[in-house]
Amino acid sequence: MAVETAQDLAGATAAASAARVGIGGPVGSGKTALIEGLLPLFAARGTSLAIVTNDLVTQEDAERLQRSGLISPERVVGVEAGACPHTVIREDPTLNIEAADLLEDQLRPLDLILIESGGDNLASTFSLDLVDYWLFVIDVSGGGDIPRKRGPGIVRADLLIVNKSDLAPHVGVDLALMQREAEEVRNGRPVLLTNCRTGEGLDRVADHLAHDVLMEG
Amino acid sequence: MLRLTRILGNATEPEFAERLHALEHDGRVETITLDAADTARKRLRVATDKGTDCAVAIARSDRLANGAVLLLEDDRAVVVRMRETVWLALGPRDLAAALDLGYFCGNLHWRVRFEGEVLKVALDGPRETYTARLAQHLADGRARIIEEQDA
Repeated sequence: MAVETAQDLAGATAAASAARVGIGGPVGSGKTALIEGLLPLFAARGTSLAIVTNDLVTQEDAERLQRSGLISPERVVGVEAGACPHTVIREDPTLNIEAADLLEDQLRPLDLILIESGGDNLASTFSLDLVDYWLFVIDVSGGGDIPRKRGPGIVRADLLIVNKSDLAPHVGVDLALMQREAEEVRNGRPVLLTNCRTGEGLDRVADHLAHDVLMEG
Repeated sequence: MLRLTRILGNATEPEFAERLHALEHDGRVETITLDAADTARKRLRVATDKGTDCAVAIARSDRLANGAVLLLEDDRAVVVRMRETVWLALGPRDLAAALDLGYFCGNLHWRVRFEGEVLKVALDGPRETYTARLAQHLADGRARIIEEQDA
């Protein structure tokens, strides 16, 4: 029997496909803004990246990213879910798997594919047949009590992001309490605060992805 | 960091079992323990029971499973161990309650299986999370929890 050693396998990671990371969360929580904030950070790190967006019946988010100047337009593909957004990231993610496969075939070698769900509710989760890791984005203006409601998206995501942290005092939210309650319902899984408009907290998001799925550091 | 990029085989296969058995005697087999749901991941950063930091990145066509051998060297092996799924067994009061319970669990996207008149829910999180959702069904008697000793 041929036994392979770690040395034989060194560098063989290229045989594996690009990391696939899902980004879910309610409408308007900042999923696309998060991607826009992450793109320059990953570009600076030399990460080869592509994006799949999901919208209900348009290509709105894909076109926004293609026009952004932050990424080559051919690196962005839009999927029109045509139904509840979670159906194409969980129950039957075929459309998104095909889109990711297409990007990978056309742009090889890729390090990372971000798959943005259409805006959904707190029950939204990703199939692990589609992604290796997923983020859930909520924002303070949705209410400080959101983490306490223990939606599956909040509890099960690999990384929870509480966006628009700067708005907390304007919408009557105790940000420290919201963060603490989020950490309590997630049993130690990470929670990060961000302000995607200013970029605050995004370095830490990139660090998590780099460590957990890009296998850096 | 130890990069693990291929599934070499399964610990139950005779050619692996013999070598793993020898390494186990010397305490040189490390295990990566995963929940059943996490075996669908193709990439994950995880530590073995001996604390080795592992970067698992396998091909999309491969799937981690209980006993998957990810490393087999003369002096060390790494094997996946899958945590057994814990099931919450529910007995509906009558046919109407069974329909109601099935709808309720489906609406929450819970993983279930049916064993005769018992509906079993896979616990992908703390049991209390599930019983809290079922509180009304349990309180009004539409469903009851069947503990293992009662089965």
